[in-house]
Amino acid sequence: MSFWESFISYLLQGWVATLEILAISIPLSILLGLSLAVARVYGNWLISLIAGGFVALLRGLPLVVTLLIVFFALPKLGIYFSPFWAAVIAFIMCSGAYQSEYVRGAIRSIDVGQSLAAQALGMTKIQEVIYIILPQAFRRALPGITNEIIYLILYSSLAYLVGVQELFSIAKHFNSLQFRPIEIFSTTALIYAFMATIATLFFRKLENKLKIPGLETI
Amino acid sequence: MSDDIVLKVEDLHKNYGNVTVLKGVSFEVRRGETKIICGPSGSGKSTLLRCLNLITRPDKGRIWLEREEITNRNININKVRQKIGFVFQEFNLFNHLTALRNVSVGLEVVKKMNKDEARKIALEMLKKVGLEEHAHKYPAELSGGQKQRVAIARALAMNPAIIFYDEPTSALDPQLIGEVLEVMKALAREKVTSIVVTHEMGFALSVGDEMLFMYDGKIIERGIPQEVIQNPRCEEARRFFQRINELYVGKRR
Repeated sequence: MSFWESFISYLLQGWVATLEILAISIPLSILLGLSLAVARVYGNWLISLIAGGFVALLRGLPLVVTLLIVFFALPKLGIYFSPFWAAVIAFIMCSGAYQSEYVRGAIRSIDVGQSLAAQALGMTKIQEVIYIILPQAFRRALPGITNEIIYLILYSSLAYLVGVQELFSIAKHFNSLQFRPIEIFSTTALIYAFMATIATLFFRKLENKLKIPGLETI
Repeated sequence: MSDDIVLKVEDLHKNYGNVTVLKGVSFEVRRGETKIICGPSGSGKSTLLRCLNLITRPDKGRIWLEREEITNRNININKVRQKIGFVFQEFNLFNHLTALRNVSVGLEVVKKMNKDEARKIALEMLKKVGLEEHAHKYPAELSGGQKQRVAIARALAMNPAIIFYDEPTSALDPQLIGEVLEVMKALAREKVTSIVVTHEMGFALSVGDEMLFMYDGKIIERGIPQEVIQNPRCEEARRFFQRINELYVGKRR
């Protein structure tokens, strides 16, 4: 088998693993971001404190450290994850924490009149948040969320640290066997750039689809 | 309390810190009545309305809505608010929803009505305020007067026992005030019970059943609008109406 044939077939396996990580962590990180933001803005003091503490902690740690804690330190407390799930969990927590700040800012930017009108109709707080506040806040937070998703795509490569056979780890391994760094790493780089571009286009399309007159990002 | 009384307010007090905004307000609204409240800014009109639908909790005093005491702590606030329509000075339409959805969302989410039925009612209400052709538009695509008419339709759709209007034309350009007042007059003639905080004396004179003049957290003068406006007994009211008169009538002279 030629260099390129075996390289590409290995790399594709790694790419699939990377896509699996992303397919789980992107939607769940968005969900976590929304939940943390809602908990901070609307939770009672305890819930708000816990959510705020979580965000402060996760934003205060390098992702590498979070990842190593999840994979190496938690087992000492009796909590075990496979390398794949350790990576996914670390990514969701980190990205969710960052995303929550965009959403929180967006919620705070919604005019108080929206809330008053919802209350005046007899909506409960939960109905108000789900039907009135979040649909508007999500639209405003979307450009920021897109940014975080692109980061997430790129730093999914850190999963190699705990032994996940994903795109970057395969490339690194293959390079140690063949030592052709220019071909190997530039191909890998192209794939990451491709994924980031697809994500950018997808979220731009989503933004346009959700666009409402008068609700453009402020 | 007779069936005829929709809303009864007794000795309402409200403080914000050291500032006392309401100092014992009492009145009743009969079914079908249009009650006008006016008074200088800072007299407590808006606070009064917000206390009446419990967006702000009064510190003292009692309120009954259709014979049910709503100042009772055990009451479900959301159930109470369904029976009170509220039209805001700043419209407060939901920015992410079309005119139609603005009117139907309360029916769907709060009254758990199915979508088709809710939209049918919403369309009827938009028709009533003359906006069925704008049903698909978002708030940003509507003029101020149209927005306020959608807001009135939104309040009406819930089939409330009473509608509160909090200075509904104060944020509008003069040429848009008329269309909103026309809708409000039509509703008043249909005997939709309402409390209207407004400085539109023409509106008060044509459909107001009683006028309350508020000053410094109290109702200091009340009566049929014509009496209150043209022959106020107290000095504060006289000065107030004189100023309004200069502003509106003076210019025409």
